[in-house]
Amino acid sequence: GVVTENATGMPIPGANVVIKGTSTGTTTDFDGKYQITASENDVIEFSYIGFVTQSITFSGNTTINISLVEDTQQLDEVVVIGYGTVKKKDATGTVDQISTEDFNQGPVVTAGQLVTGKIAGVNVTSSGGAPGASQTIRIRGVGSLSLTSNPLFVVDGVPIADGTSGGSRNPLDFINPNDIETMTVLKDASATAIYGSRAANGVIMITTKKGKGDLKFNFTTSMNISDPYKKIDVMSADQFRALINEVGNTSQIALLGDANTDWQDEIYRTAVSNNSSFTVSGTYKDFMPFRASIGYSDQSGILDRDNFKRTTASLNLRPRFLDNSLRLDLNARGMYTENTFANNGAIGAAVDFDPTQSVYDENSPYSGYYSWLNSDGYQNSLAPTNPVALINLQDDTSEVRRFIGNAKIDYDLPFLTDLTATLNLAYDYSNSNGRVITSELMPNSSANDDYNGAYTNYSNETINKLFDFYVTYNKEIGKQSISAMLGHSYQSFTYFKYGYNSETEEQGNIEGAYTDDPSKNVLMSFFGRANYNYNDKYLATATLRADASSKLNPDDRWGYFPSFSLAWNLNNEDFLKDSKTINQLKLRVGYGEVGNVNGLNDYLFLTKYNVSQSGAYYQIGSGNYMATYRPQEINEDLKWEVGKTLNIGIDYGFFDNRVSGSINAYVKKTSDLISNIPVDPFTNFGDSIDANVGDMENKGVELEINYLAVQTENFEWNIGYNIAYNDNEITNLPASFPTGGINGGTGNKIQYQEEGYSPFAFYVYQQVYNQDGKPIEGAYVDRNHDGQLNDSDKYLYKDPFADVTMGLNTSIKYKNFDLAIVTRASLGNYVYNNNASSRAYLNRATANSILSNLTTDYYDHAFVESSEGNLMSDYFVKNASFFKVDNISLGYTFTKFVKDSSLKLYGSVQNVATITEYDGLDPEVYGGIDNGLYPRPRIYMLGLNLNF
Amino acid sequence: CMDDLDQSPTDPDVFTEEDVFASADEAKSALAKLYAGFALTGQTGPAGDPDITNLDEGASQFTRLLFVLNELPTDEAVNGWGDAGVPNFHQMDWSAGNDFLEAMYYRLALEVSYCNSFIDNATALNSDTDVQYYIAEARFLRAYAYSYLMDFFGNVPIVTSVSTDLPMQSTREEIFTFVEAELLEVQDLLPDSGATEYGRVDKVAAWALLSRIYLNAETWIGENRYSDCVTYSEMVISSSYQINTTDANGNGNAYDELFLADNDSNGAQNEFIFTANFDGINSTTYGGSTYLVFAAIGGDMVASEYGVNGGWAGNRVTKSLVEKFNDAITASDSDGYPTAWSDSRAMFYTEGQNYEIETISNTFTDGYANVKFKNIKSDGSTGNDVNQTFVDTDVPLIRVAEIYLNYAEAVLRGGGGSNTNAVTYINELRERAYGNSSNNINATNLNLDFVLDERARELQWEGFRRTDLIRYGYFTSSTYLWPFKGGAANGVGISSYRVLYPIPTSILTVNPNMTQNSGY
Repeated sequence: GVVTENATGMPIPGANVVIKGTSTGTTTDFDGKYQITASENDVIEFSYIGFVTQSITFSGNTTINISLVEDTQQLDEVVVIGYGTVKKKDATGTVDQISTEDFNQGPVVTAGQLVTGKIAGVNVTSSGGAPGASQTIRIRGVGSLSLTSNPLFVVDGVPIADGTSGGSRNPLDFINPNDIETMTVLKDASATAIYGSRAANGVIMITTKKGKGDLKFNFTTSMNISDPYKKIDVMSADQFRALINEVGNTSQIALLGDANTDWQDEIYRTAVSNNSSFTVSGTYKDFMPFRASIGYSDQSGILDRDNFKRTTASLNLRPRFLDNSLRLDLNARGMYTENTFANNGAIGAAVDFDPTQSVYDENSPYSGYYSWLNSDGYQNSLAPTNPVALINLQDDTSEVRRFIGNAKIDYDLPFLTDLTATLNLAYDYSNSNGRVITSELMPNSSANDDYNGAYTNYSNETINKLFDFYVTYNKEIGKQSISAMLGHSYQSFTYFKYGYNSETEEQGNIEGAYTDDPSKNVLMSFFGRANYNYNDKYLATATLRADASSKLNPDDRWGYFPSFSLAWNLNNEDFLKDSKTINQLKLRVGYGEVGNVNGLNDYLFLTKYNVSQSGAYYQIGSGNYMATYRPQEINEDLKWEVGKTLNIGIDYGFFDNRVSGSINAYVKKTSDLISNIPVDPFTNFGDSIDANVGDMENKGVELEINYLAVQTENFEWNIGYNIAYNDNEITNLPASFPTGGINGGTGNKIQYQEEGYSPFAFYVYQQVYNQDGKPIEGAYVDRNHDGQLNDSDKYLYKDPFADVTMGLNTSIKYKNFDLAIVTRASLGNYVYNNNASSRAYLNRATANSILSNLTTDYYDHAFVESSEGNLMSDYFVKNASFFKVDNISLGYTFTKFVKDSSLKLYGSVQNVATITEYDGLDPEVYGGIDNGLYPRPRIYMLGLNLNF
Repeated sequence: CMDDLDQSPTDPDVFTEEDVFASADEAKSALAKLYAGFALTGQTGPAGDPDITNLDEGASQFTRLLFVLNELPTDEAVNGWGDAGVPNFHQMDWSAGNDFLEAMYYRLALEVSYCNSFIDNATALNSDTDVQYYIAEARFLRAYAYSYLMDFFGNVPIVTSVSTDLPMQSTREEIFTFVEAELLEVQDLLPDSGATEYGRVDKVAAWALLSRIYLNAETWIGENRYSDCVTYSEMVISSSYQINTTDANGNGNAYDELFLADNDSNGAQNEFIFTANFDGINSTTYGGSTYLVFAAIGGDMVASEYGVNGGWAGNRVTKSLVEKFNDAITASDSDGYPTAWSDSRAMFYTEGQNYEIETISNTFTDGYANVKFKNIKSDGSTGNDVNQTFVDTDVPLIRVAEIYLNYAEAVLRGGGGSNTNAVTYINELRERAYGNSSNNINATNLNLDFVLDERARELQWEGFRRTDLIRYGYFTSSTYLWPFKGGAANGVGISSYRVLYPIPTSILTVNPNMTQNSGY
């Protein structure tokens, strides 16, 4: 007979077929076929990990085809953990795995979008509406002050370097979301500690799809339309004319034009994009499953000319040799992207530019683009540049190439079959070339008719090499089972950056016109893990990783990151074993220590001198300009930031597992927090150094519920809900310091790091209001009662991080229809509305002998000046809690489209609705400072997915 | 492969101590940084790799900070920007958290650290005569930095060798003693007068700085050192440095040449004892003379007339400074406000500008503009940067005219010397300013207030005013007022503790050995 997957009809290789109560059994081959000898009335059991076991009483049929139903409760689901996998029921750490069928649908271009809103405590915020824009992913809040709080990404066992190289939009660009099988989030330290020094902010493991079974083809294509449905509210031309006529003097009124230009309409467009991929998978000659895919995506942004074209190709081969004891897993993945970056400067300029002026002016010296000119005929240097000119007269393009290849070799040792040796070798190479060419016609304030435009180019190269070797030992002794793993890892990261700026060359200074900035760091590690399982009831896991980084001084180079966790499967105890109500109940407790050096520069502990670059030479003697050597700030004592997490969790499944999920509570204390702190300048060569100071605490509770509300043959209704509470607090920081630069004035900072408060809390004056509730300009509360108003009256007020985040998803399948809705909520996140504070005060409208438009926030606060007080008023710190309907998707599947092929047609709407009190453009602003955000479009999409 | 953990910099722009102090030639580049510390803001021009990271890079430049700290809280200037901390200077209500005070403290203290590191490392090359000069220059530059630390903050640590140990606080008296002793020692170690390259200092710089600190000794440490001031001023005056009398652009006086784009070669260089050098291509910053020119342009002014491509609409003067030139008015507008002066040092731009200041914030047209610094060369061409974004003009840090005025004041304060010589020196400055001797003074005109007013006329916007007003007891007093002194439109007196700036909060936090100055 043949064993197949119920959902897809695909054969299942390696399924177990056993005659119950005997030792007779076999497994299915690559085509899902099996042969077994049985007697009448024997009970044959068919089982496979992740599927519900089926039993058939043999009644003499010579062929028994079985289709196994996927175990929706996924109790036997295998989850990916570092350097191995574990059955979900045996996991002792906090691990959330999302796989293909649960991924978000709609216009997904990068991996992060697949899981937005799906996992409690995992917040994904896109940096804006640009195509392929990067996402900020935070697991359980912000974990560091100066270092990055990005999780570690591990793709098919290969840890990826943090951050993007220049010219690319997103570090996960290289992977086509359609190639991803599962994304697994390791949240607590007992799960992540195996990745030691890089695991402090959680680990996201990405496993790509593999081939199996018969030759199959898949083709998907989709088309989407991005609609710039929301822009910043600025005064209309008529409103602005009325304002200037009211407040302006004669010469200012004379500057008014006759046009009615909506500058934002001039730079935004409705953009059309498409996305296709083609996959072939199967098994070659019974021993080599393979999968190959190519993908092409052409994404256009709503900002005119913004475009992202990506071609990806991937190949996965998994040959087996020596009677399956030698297994290779070979992955090769290539990406080529072509970016055209729209000039984002146009976003702000379109808000500022006077709406009474027309876009073009035939008298303009700058190829007909209207510009504010000085009396000498050149553009006023304080005027915004015509936004349409900014877009059209600057070419900012890049090409990025990336290749990741890895070879994972598993070998079951012949003399000791419980022992498997694994070698994983990987090579990750990326390079980017980019250039920014500004036309000589670009309006500019250079009082020089020979302005030649500008040309800069850059190229970056990143090489990440990995060598992993580990052995795994599995042994079952009666009711106990033990597994152990021991390994070594070496990883190196090499960076090369090259930049070239032509302007200095045009001025006769070729030397030093380019810069290069190479660096290299190495991470060396040893790690081990031991699991103990008693009768599937009591589980224990211990891990230890030792990491050494070349970024740290030899004395503090090694860090040791242990973890320990226990779990108790109550449902396997006698008193619950036969319960119909409680199908799963697991208590977990785990403790672990993890580190962070992400984002830390190389060689910080060495005494170094930087030589000055062109433009920073110093004149010694007549006409002689010398490069200078500056000693660099140094911290010889730099060591890891260490996070210690305690996590208590419950995994549950009730009522035939129709209600399932988990509850987690955690406390994470980060000590030796690396922060860029002020240093006594008499003792060093800079005003601040990266140093281990201070402690931070993150604590929270997370709840996940999956509810299978209806499950009949034709109708299935699933509801997923998750909610997370998280609180971040700096518990120890000897020196507080400002951060968070804003627009308006020079060097103003709106946030502060201070002990006893959330990191990045807003540091502001307390606004005084009149009887009508309007803010009184320049009136603030004298909080320290010293009779004068100065910066000692500022206080820490709110922070940008949500207290509570929620995700609510539902999917309905009725016959061949399926409907999915994804929603998200964020409560208690505050945003400083920098557009309202820096682009809406009255004096701005007429400053610098030009006219500048104001945002309509002016009607609310009526501020006249851009004073420090106005900029730093708590009036502009707004509650930006929101509820968003991210996506609604509806699909229909023709199951027997042509013969065995299936065809799915679907449509979706992304960014459907936002409910918020926040009156700026979009309440979702990572970091809490709202200025210059690329608006997120509403995206309508149609697609098809063909399997044959 | 464990050795792979010992990575060393692969960047060809990054050097180790062995590279930098391999030879006298290499060490000269490290010396250049000690000078550049007073002119530039970092290792990439105009910005990008700053020495000081916690303030806008352009605003962390020494002479720009000198303007903010020593000009904005006086009758010579106001600035209308809303940057955090800027309005507090003309309001005279700065606190210890002020970003600009912090930046100045860091700028000067880092300079001390750079010098200390240089002296520590260069000592190994001491057999080289050039290196001996370098070390003497480094000691001078360190003393120069300390002279400002002493003036602004009073009580800071004296550190002479780089160490991560937190230093103990010293008193203003101890710093004075240290600076004096250093200058007295290096005056013999530095090159002879005029025997070194442009941009580097010689013996005369040490004498000039001694003249300056002796003039202020009574204010700073309660010691009357006027006779020492007279002695060292005389040494400067009889050196090879002379006030510039070359009218290179032929406009009838030789004063404006001092602040033109080619002031390193148009004759003005002969007056400059110590300069911060700039070049629109090679030595660029958003501070320095670029700030002095750009920030002073706004309103109806045509930027290209000053050799730049725009204005930042910030700095103007109060009418108190304009009034210092009342004897020289040659034309007034219909409202009776002066619009032209025969004293060429009155370089006010009045068209479209209001004489009286009603609003400071964002209102550039309130208060006359001041176009003393320009990016125009003596032949009328503009500076080297074709885009006119950066200014060539060097900023004099010590020039002979100051020493003339120091001499006159020290004589009047009883330091000995000669009244006749004092009158002669003042008249040299006035003759240069007017282009003729018709406004010369005689001995009866010479008194302390006259010298102070003459300093305002001669040295306005060069970073002296706060120090001068404090020396005269006028800085905090309720009798010597100017518009918006203490934040009031007509001016009010302020608490006398404000003659010292506070130790920045961040310094108190990082170094528990430090105690705040009284009053703050």
